[in-house]
Amino acid sequence: MLKKTTIDKLPELAACLMEKGTLVAPVKEAGGFNFRAITDAAQVDLIFHNTILSPKTVFFPQTEDFVRYSVYQPILEAKPVEPEIRPTFLFGVRPCDVKSFEIMDIHFTRTGVPDPYWRKRRDATIIFGFAFDTSEEADPAEFYHTLGIGAADPDGSDVFMLRRDDVLFLKAVSPRGENLLGGLAGLTDAAPDERKYFDDYIAQGHDYKTRYTCVDAEAIAKEFEAIFHNTDFWTKVSNACLSCGICTFVCPTCYCFDICDETQFGQGVRRRVWDACMFTDFTLEASGHNPRTQVYQRLRQKICHKYSFHIRKYGPISCVGCGRCTRYCPVNIDIFSIVEQAVQAKWYKRM
Amino acid sequence: MSFEPKILGIACNWCTYTGADLAGTTRLQYPQNIRVVRVMCSSRINPSFIFRAFQLGADGVLIGGCHPGDCHYNTGNLYARRRLAVTKKILEFSGMEPGRFRVEWISASEGNRFAEVVREFTEQIRDLGPQTKFKISQ
Amino acid sequence: MAISFEQIEQHLKTEALKLLESGKVILVLAYGRGYDANHPMPYVAKHPSDVDNIVFNEYCTANLARYLTRYPRRTKIAIAVKAADSRAVVQLIQEDKVCREDLVVLGIPVYGMKNFKTGEVIDSKTTGGLYNPVLYDILLGEEVHGQPVSSPYDVLAAYEAMDKEERWAFWQRELGRCIRCYACRKACPMCYCDPCFIDQNKPKWGEKSPESPGNLMYHLTRFHHLAGRCIDCGECSRACPVDIPLYLFHKKVAKDCEEMFGQAAGMSIGDKPVLVNFRVDDSDKILE
Repeated sequence: MLKKTTIDKLPELAACLMEKGTLVAPVKEAGGFNFRAITDAAQVDLIFHNTILSPKTVFFPQTEDFVRYSVYQPILEAKPVEPEIRPTFLFGVRPCDVKSFEIMDIHFTRTGVPDPYWRKRRDATIIFGFAFDTSEEADPAEFYHTLGIGAADPDGSDVFMLRRDDVLFLKAVSPRGENLLGGLAGLTDAAPDERKYFDDYIAQGHDYKTRYTCVDAEAIAKEFEAIFHNTDFWTKVSNACLSCGICTFVCPTCYCFDICDETQFGQGVRRRVWDACMFTDFTLEASGHNPRTQVYQRLRQKICHKYSFHIRKYGPISCVGCGRCTRYCPVNIDIFSIVEQAVQAKWYKRM
Repeated sequence: MSFEPKILGIACNWCTYTGADLAGTTRLQYPQNIRVVRVMCSSRINPSFIFRAFQLGADGVLIGGCHPGDCHYNTGNLYARRRLAVTKKILEFSGMEPGRFRVEWISASEGNRFAEVVREFTEQIRDLGPQTKFKISQ
Repeated sequence: MAISFEQIEQHLKTEALKLLESGKVILVLAYGRGYDANHPMPYVAKHPSDVDNIVFNEYCTANLARYLTRYPRRTKIAIAVKAADSRAVVQLIQEDKVCREDLVVLGIPVYGMKNFKTGEVIDSKTTGGLYNPVLYDILLGEEVHGQPVSSPYDVLAAYEAMDKEERWAFWQRELGRCIRCYACRKACPMCYCDPCFIDQNKPKWGEKSPESPGNLMYHLTRFHHLAGRCIDCGECSRACPVDIPLYLFHKKVAKDCEEMFGQAAGMSIGDKPVLVNFRVDDSDKILE
């Protein structure tokens, strides 16, 4: 089912969705775009390249309260915090970010104890994927093509959107998306030539060139295993690293968190807060021992986790090539170049 | 209910705290809105104490030290003077009312002055009203 | 007179090569190519053959003094510095974090540097009103003269004119956006505490979650810790992924310190940082 609407009618579509639940869409803020719950239908703006923080914030917010307690009462009086789950429409997610949800699902729902917070939010959300504009030049930081993701991949979305000048096409990809689109007033059916345009666009999305290097999951995992102990290599690539948390915080597939108890005036809350493997105290143990004190060890962990350990344990590469870590890195460390260099590291004689 | 300010006093052991003791032993009346914390020297005061006090609900912070030149440790309050001056500027630029933070030099023999300063400062905070900017909402 | 970045790059390569070949230093902190020409990254040359990878262009804004404290003492280091960065080196020497004897300072007189994220020229905002390094052993090129010099504190005027409610609202809005990635402290050459006060659990100074109270505590205390030490390189603001104008607050504190104590940070090796110093005749007026 391919439907269409015009860009000037976007607020109407937004209002329609806001009636059915929470609409989360990119909103322009001082530093750039971010996914936020929409309060005013006119806020929805599809002229953006990508957001600063990835859409994981919707399912895995930076702070999430688990338990509320009072220090004056026995521990059994502590109350779990039920997350407020409403039907949510996640609007305008780029194809590479849509792919990241699939990878995150592995950790939050498919291995170990399923995370109810993630799962409930995920189940309540309908994802509106949104194709990159292939007429524009690719952002120099991005490399989703390397990971086999097209600029207009509808996989994983419930509804996939594509913009052509003033027209916005919406195609139902999943049955949920179909149900939703069928019930939305204000959308018109697309003409046959428009359907063809849509299909062609998606097919061409795979030819859209971002930075590219041939990466085979099995092979790259092996490469990184081989150079794990090559301290020279890791020192060299991490010389510039400041070990701040930007790359992990903006990453759509980083999921590390810390559990903190925050007590104020006798009332406390146990909450989950994002943590980053790039922080010195990330691996600090209660004994005082810290297995990763050096910057190179931490950067190695981050990259090997994504491109080696993750493949061995779960299968896919834990990176979608959205380029956020590279774009926001204050010293322009580029994970793609490190992967490229790692592939060649065998011939890398002297550091 | 009328507003009763909560004031944190941080007093140096050798002068202001002893001065406060003197005010007590000479039966001088001063408002009980102030809660005095004793530190060994005014230069022991970490600026974070002050930010944290405001966050935890203090309406005003009063700091007392020896008169410059009289420090028990010779130079402590001279360092403190510079540091606390910066604290004041930072509070001011962040948008906090400057009147909520005050530094006074009160010697061990100035019980009168201690009572007077506390009275004055309490009145000043009463006029400013409750401090809501830094305070963490409960 | 326009700055020739190629010329500086050439000078930098020549000097780096000389220093590495003669064994005077074991590493040169300079800039290398990043993922494209507009995104250079800090680069460490350790071998004469590494020198070819050194680049210098208008996007080389990073303050390399940040990396000095990472190497053990008595490591002989050559470092490329621009005007503000040289003040960071001076400040680190004042604080005895690095030894003057271990350093070869390659000064770069330059203006018209651009932020690689936004492309905007940073001169008027965060160069401390300087174009020439205050400390160098070797100057790469000629001193810049005749460039319009604006006071480093000019950009503050609009914020100082705000009343306290507006200022409070402004900082609430700005600091409220902080995501606590700590890039500001990691990019800062003067932030070398281990552990940082905000990472301490006993006592716990502030909340770790990115909400207003914790953000306020972290940033205000950080502004305070950098009082009289901030050298106005602007790295914190450029590193910030959500563009919080931290440099404004740092500048304001620097301005107040300069007015009260009559000394700017990182201008001379012989100075003592203002907050670990005092004068018996400091006026009590500063407390009013």
